[in-house]
Amino acid sequence: MLEVEDLAVSYGGTIALAGVAISVKEREAVCVVGPNGAGKSTLLAAIAGGVPPKRGRIRFDGKDLVGMRAENIARLGISLVPEGRHVFGTLTVEENLFIGTYAMSDRRHAQSDAEQLLGYFPRLKERWRQPAGRLSGGEQQMLVIARALMTRPRLVMVDEPSLGLAPKIVDTVYETLLALRAERGLTLLVNEQSSDRMLKFSERIYVLRNGRILLHGNTADLQDGEAITRAYFGFDEHDISATSEAAA
Amino acid sequence: MINFAQTFIDALSLGSLYALAALGIGLLFGILRLINFAYGDLITLGAYALIIPSTEAVATLFIGGWPWFMVIIAVAVIVVAAALLSDLLVFRHIRRADPATLMIASFAVSFVIQNVILMFYGSRPKSVDLWSNLNYQIAVGGLRIPLLQIVTILATLVLMGGLTLLLKRTALGIQMRAAAEDFRMARYLGVRGNLVIGLAFAISGVLAAVASLLLLSQTGTLSQTMGVPLMLFAFIATVVGGMGSLIGAATGGFAVAFASVFLQAYLPDDLRPFRDSFVFGIVILMLLFRPAGLVPTKALVERV
Repeated sequence: MLEVEDLAVSYGGTIALAGVAISVKEREAVCVVGPNGAGKSTLLAAIAGGVPPKRGRIRFDGKDLVGMRAENIARLGISLVPEGRHVFGTLTVEENLFIGTYAMSDRRHAQSDAEQLLGYFPRLKERWRQPAGRLSGGEQQMLVIARALMTRPRLVMVDEPSLGLAPKIVDTVYETLLALRAERGLTLLVNEQSSDRMLKFSERIYVLRNGRILLHGNTADLQDGEAITRAYFGFDEHDISATSEAAA
Repeated sequence: MINFAQTFIDALSLGSLYALAALGIGLLFGILRLINFAYGDLITLGAYALIIPSTEAVATLFIGGWPWFMVIIAVAVIVVAAALLSDLLVFRHIRRADPATLMIASFAVSFVIQNVILMFYGSRPKSVDLWSNLNYQIAVGGLRIPLLQIVTILATLVLMGGLTLLLKRTALGIQMRAAAEDFRMARYLGVRGNLVIGLAFAISGVLAAVASLLLLSQTGTLSQTMGVPLMLFAFIATVVGGMGSLIGAATGGFAVAFASVFLQAYLPDDLRPFRDSFVFGIVILMLLFRPAGLVPTKALVERV
């Protein structure tokens, strides 16, 4: 479904991604794990058309996304939930939720989709007419996930959903993502800093550090977490690059 | 008391004009982070569109001689076209540039418009008699209110009401507000960037067109820099009101006008020539003690 090859991105002179390759299959849940500043957010932003790549290819259903506008990539069925939530604070919860359906003038399913999503996030219903800026962090995270799903995307990318949230709320967020995935046949690509939750949640994991993929494997094969820890913290670079090639 | 009421209405009318222009500037700033110094020249252009292009000293009415609603529509079309053209030729190519670069580019656009007007109309100020029957004064109690002030206030109320409805009640307006708050996020959700930007330029063009007609009926004089002082005060109004907030821009417009008109009325005679220094002094104090403006926006902080 999604193939990224040799993707490189820099900001000014700083290299954020130095030739990254990942792939995501239809209905998979894939996770990118890496420390702060590894380039995880840049990877998702580049796929969504938010930052221009320096080189490389990004294909979605065989279609080349490089150079496409973000709004057109969204129309192909890719939805990004960026890090830091980004609710439109002065807009009401309702307006936030419907923004995508307004933009794509596809309102056929909007009402029924909204009601179904509110089934997962009943708190949002209570806050329906309030400015989204007044919601708590957890409520905002739920709002942006619901908002991203309103346009019926096939690939949903979530950037650090746990950032700044209490562990209990993070659990709810992940349970909801999994339930929605099962119900709607979604494909998920999720970034996180910590791998613990990812091992339960996803089918495959990439470890990204300093703009490179250092490890890639099926979650089932990485359950002890040893290889991930080594890739993550950068011990034994030689050893790990060997592992990563084997896995790829 | 009569004196106060008269001054109050003067301030309300001047504030309406500032508020119109400030809304036009604020709208573009909200979405594009563009402080459009060419905005004053769009106002100038709207006024010049009323007469036949010629370098002669005497102005001959062209559009200006049409029925009033035709005048408004024609001037709005011309100014909106110019605003969209400035986006197409200049601003569209520097979308990712930082606000300082955008502002400098707008100075360039400003000079181009001024010099095009010089080329076609000559440099001499021309007097134009637009809607002079608006100078008729209505006596209410002991007050004498020029019809033009009432028209100015009403026109502003109508436009502000229309703008509010558009932004709050229509799908396009809600997209514009979302884009003004977080442009990139809005595009991730499918909001078409060039559509909302084009719409912002168009609306700001309509506001500039109305401002130019009101300004011209007030002063009766065309000059190629006539819009510049209005732009300057409107810009100050957006800063005072809080950059990025439309309510702030309108509030700021009225605040600056009230300060200016009331200082003019109540300053001791020998200080009156320095009225603007007092106005700007208040603005400086305002920036020192409340730098985010009367209506601060979080959006601005997040974007930087």
